[in-house]
Amino acid sequence: MITAPTIEYFALAPLLIIFGAAIIGVLVEAFAPRYLRRAVHVPLTLLSLVGAFALVILQTVRGVPTTPAAMGSVAVDGPTLFIWGTILVLSFVSVLLINDEEQFVPSAAAVPGSAEEEKAITEGAAHTEVYPLALFAIGGMLLFPASNDLLIMFVALEVMSLPLYLLCGLARRRRLLSQEASVKYFLLGAFSSAFFLYGTALLYGFAGTVDLLGIRERLAVGGGGTETLLLVGTAMLGVGLLFKIGAAPFQAWKPDVYQGAPTPITALMASGTLVAAFGAVLRVFWVALGNDSWNWEPIMWGVAALTMVAGSILAITQTDIKRMLAYSSIAHAGFLLVGVMAVGERGQNALALSGLLFYLVTYGITTVGAFAIVTLVRDPGGEAWHLSRWAGLGKRSPKLAGLFAFFLLAFAGIPLTSGFFGKYAVFRSAVALGEAWLTGLVVLAVVASAAAAFFYVRVIVLMFFSDPSADGPTVVTPSWATSTVVGFSAFATVALGVFPQPVLDLAEKAAKSLFVQ
Amino acid sequence: MTTHYLVLSALLFAIGGIGVLVRRNAIVVFMCVELMLNACNLAFVTFARQNGNIDGQVIAFFVMIVAAAEVVIGLAIIVTIFRTRRSASVDDASLLKY
Amino acid sequence: MEPAEILSHTGGGAISLAWLMIVLPLAGAAILLIGGRATNKWGHLLGVLMSVGAFVVAALVFLQLIGLDPAQRRQSVNLYEFIPGVANIGLLIDPLSISFCLLITFVGSLIHIYSIGYMSHDPDRRRFFAYLNLFVAAMLLLVLADNYVALFIGWEGVGLASYLLIGFWQYKPSAAVAAKKAFVVNRVGDFGLLIAMFIIFAQFGTLQYAEVFPAASQASQGVLTAIGLLLLLGACGKSAQLPLQSWLLDAMEGPTPVSALIHAATMVTAGVYLVVRSGAAFFPEGSTAGLVVTIVGVATLLAGAIIGTAKDDIKKGLAGSTMSQIGYMMLAAGIGPAGYAFAIAHLITHGFFKADLFLGAGSVMHAMNDEVDMRRYGGLRKLLPITFVTFFIGYLAIIGFPLLSGYFTKDGIIESVMHHNAILGWLAVLGAGITGFYMTRMVVMTFFGPKRWDEKAHPHESPAVMTWPLIILSIFSVGLGAYLILSNRLLVFLGPAVGQPAELPGFHPFSVPGLTTLALVAVGAGIAIAKYGRSEVPVVQPRGSFLTVFARRDLYGDALNEALFMRPGQWLTRLAVFFDNRGIDGVVNGLAAGVGGSSGRLRKIQTGYVRSYALSIFVGAAVLAGAWFVVGTL
Repeated sequence: MITAPTIEYFALAPLLIIFGAAIIGVLVEAFAPRYLRRAVHVPLTLLSLVGAFALVILQTVRGVPTTPAAMGSVAVDGPTLFIWGTILVLSFVSVLLINDEEQFVPSAAAVPGSAEEEKAITEGAAHTEVYPLALFAIGGMLLFPASNDLLIMFVALEVMSLPLYLLCGLARRRRLLSQEASVKYFLLGAFSSAFFLYGTALLYGFAGTVDLLGIRERLAVGGGGTETLLLVGTAMLGVGLLFKIGAAPFQAWKPDVYQGAPTPITALMASGTLVAAFGAVLRVFWVALGNDSWNWEPIMWGVAALTMVAGSILAITQTDIKRMLAYSSIAHAGFLLVGVMAVGERGQNALALSGLLFYLVTYGITTVGAFAIVTLVRDPGGEAWHLSRWAGLGKRSPKLAGLFAFFLLAFAGIPLTSGFFGKYAVFRSAVALGEAWLTGLVVLAVVASAAAAFFYVRVIVLMFFSDPSADGPTVVTPSWATSTVVGFSAFATVALGVFPQPVLDLAEKAAKSLFVQ
Repeated sequence: MTTHYLVLSALLFAIGGIGVLVRRNAIVVFMCVELMLNACNLAFVTFARQNGNIDGQVIAFFVMIVAAAEVVIGLAIIVTIFRTRRSASVDDASLLKY
Repeated sequence: MEPAEILSHTGGGAISLAWLMIVLPLAGAAILLIGGRATNKWGHLLGVLMSVGAFVVAALVFLQLIGLDPAQRRQSVNLYEFIPGVANIGLLIDPLSISFCLLITFVGSLIHIYSIGYMSHDPDRRRFFAYLNLFVAAMLLLVLADNYVALFIGWEGVGLASYLLIGFWQYKPSAAVAAKKAFVVNRVGDFGLLIAMFIIFAQFGTLQYAEVFPAASQASQGVLTAIGLLLLLGACGKSAQLPLQSWLLDAMEGPTPVSALIHAATMVTAGVYLVVRSGAAFFPEGSTAGLVVTIVGVATLLAGAIIGTAKDDIKKGLAGSTMSQIGYMMLAAGIGPAGYAFAIAHLITHGFFKADLFLGAGSVMHAMNDEVDMRRYGGLRKLLPITFVTFFIGYLAIIGFPLLSGYFTKDGIIESVMHHNAILGWLAVLGAGITGFYMTRMVVMTFFGPKRWDEKAHPHESPAVMTWPLIILSIFSVGLGAYLILSNRLLVFLGPAVGQPAELPGFHPFSVPGLTTLALVAVGAGIAIAKYGRSEVPVVQPRGSFLTVFARRDLYGDALNEALFMRPGQWLTRLAVFFDNRGIDGVVNGLAAGVGGSSGRLRKIQTGYVRSYALSIFVGAAVLAGAWFVVGTL
């Protein structure tokens, strides 16, 4: 006899709300008249995000569950709730950016430059599907770090990625680049998820289950002559996960995709996806492979070192603002990986986890703000991406350039910005472990941050100390939504840089219970 | 003997992977990815047999569904870029670089 | 009496809200700068409001403080742990800091109000108020900090505000140059302060006053002297003392309210604050560092006075006078606890009467189409009656006319220095005589005699929003000195913060130095009246004697700087660059070029072909699996 599974609906409610709203969004696409769609989508999307966020708060207040939900496949624990809150906030501000219809193509099927496209533009057509697509992606982002077994994680990975592949190709301007980004992201993403799946299969062969806790137990038993399955399986799984966070040598997609995608989507990917993927990395490596850390730590060490060095060095000679931010994101992924290795006993893990969670919040918020500013500096043919176009911006619109400079300083980790405390918290936890190999990596990370600071400062110098060209880019007046995003990001970057304690406390509280084990 | 199936699965996976590297046509590249997914399915089913539980078989169904969804998305993207460029070669789309 | 112990503040009340003093003007500056043109209409009012708000908070804190037992009057309010145990930001509320706060916010508020009128025709008035607010916030942070780090932040903040305000009319090349000069000269001083901070941290492991001051006596004499001299270097930069005085005269390019607030009443006294604040620890009575402070002080007070005698630009004349008066403060601060109270008392009264004089000068300029040459003034007392009366009161106060503010405070300084070292004391008396000369000259040339201005100028009294601050400042210029000095009010009040001498000094109006000072001032004033009041003042500057030219050229300070520092500095720099290129820089540049070059080469890996990316993933996966395998089977 099979007993019916129990589902903890309350614990899963944030997920259900997001997916529910996404499905309603699809129905709206099907049944609502064209002129009404946007008016329905925007409030629906934003409200569902707010509702999910409220439920996350409610759950945090009510007390964090100690057992995984949905028959052990989804773990709604302290870190998950913190990550959910983070992703929902980042998604909310990203959706405010997506709300700018100037960013998206009126008709994706029309060939660029064709009469068909002209017609779509004059008719004012719009792909309002972006809202449900974004919601599906956000739902996947929520599920990804919460999944407590590899199958759910794979499904979440795909649910998160598939809508993003499409969204990447929907830029209104420079459509060739956008489509290329989309195709590249899709092919490479599918390729890497095949690795993830193969790793899952091998680990299933090793442990007889895809449950993370089951794999952990199997590792604790040890022996059995199936070490090969474990080792190769872990490596393959690692490829899939490291691809998503953009760690070297799997970082190649990031600059191309970040550049080609519509900037609001880039903002969503650079913030939300990174947070979600890091949550998943932590869960796999700490929960399932936690007892195997001496096996994966040396490899992770190499990957982290390579990632931060590659990101920092390659960023130096970039001439495109979005590519530069992409390489900066790669370097940051390397810095974050330092924290992943800072595992030890319980208190140490909590310290490392809280540092990582805080870093993710600060980096995500600053990133959205920076990309929001990129949307405002425009040439006749679209956004002004080339760095030379940003020369002298500080003289023409000092406020905008000042804010952007501020975000860059936060990326560089200058004190009194949130970025400083993010780095400080992660590196402190790594040093606290007291292992020479990890402390050495922290030294490398600090050196790489110094190199990275160089290219941030280079942009600032360019903006403020060169003369603007006569035909420089125009700075559009931001809509209320974009202003809100920039304002919020700037405020949070200052606030977390000056008064980090409340959020640090929250992260510590979330981290104290660690992952459900 | 399940080992043969595992070797076959690994071979299929490798063929798929190498196909992605050497083929130019986006559709074929994509088919190679699908082949990799199917190699995974074979491995799952084999391990299900080996481990004596049906998890692997259930997973195979999930993977098929996901693969189907991926096909929908993938074809949409590939067709769009084909209409624009009049070419399905992945090497043509190389404006984003350095 | 030694200074009281610094307690950490626990109770509530106004003291725990002291941070509002800094935050209010800071918020004002932020709103005005971020708000942009949208705030043009009411920006100046917000600026005034924030400054007045800070004054109200300062007054409340003051009232709470004097309600406490004297031993309890040094309280540190911890606001925020930046990095726990390494750097935190706290405020030190004690009689010294609150005296500064009251001066800064009160005079600051008056000058804000005055600026409404003075800047009314300037299209950038909002930006001006934003900078003024920024200045007030930074200055308050400087004096309220309970550690050297926060002090340094405030120190740089006022430097920034000063730089921005000197160059406020940046379309004038002279203003831009002056701003740059102030910036560079101040960096020299800041360098000293920074090194002093490094040594303090290396020696004591902390930069908190509460921990550094008690520990100072344990350090070796050499270290203490080094710290003292380096702190003095910082003080010289900020307070325009020799040899870093040259920027102040040029700084007069800024709008006049700025000269009044920053370059007379408050910022330039920060050096005095630094010396007095660190006094008990690093400039104790009889120490080498203290001696150097007094020498610098007396040299500057004479140099400033001499420069003041020859300037025809009314603001530069006043600037020379400011240097000179700060020289007096430094002199007093150098002699130890016996002089601190007089230094601060003179600082406070000087804040009022010098602001009064500067604003009066501004009012004259306002009336005269921004003409600053006193040779083109003359006979203005009937046309600008209020400005004349207030300026005249300020004049009487600064020359030390009996019973006005300057009389008490300057006399206090001279008396206390006389006890300490008679030579320094008599030099200070001489300085007072010169003060009598140049200030009388200024008043005579501006307000008396025949008119020498163009027909085009139509002098008119300034609006009420400008004259009322003048009137208030002049009232304080009359009475404040007596209030602070008689019965040693300020000295006893400051006792817990800076220590006080064992026996309280009395007030001796008929001592020999006191009478001599008065006589010399009278002689100086008489000469000035004879020279400028009785005979015609040429509109065009005459060639003048060697001495006059010497003074006009700022005692060849710039030439001296150029010959002594700039030229050798340039040579040294060239030499350093030469070696640097070969040696150090070779390494650094090589590294940078290496990074840049490898970056340039590495980015070619990003070919743009999706298949090559897939290859990197595939190879990466293989490497990862291989590595795992190797590590796993080891």
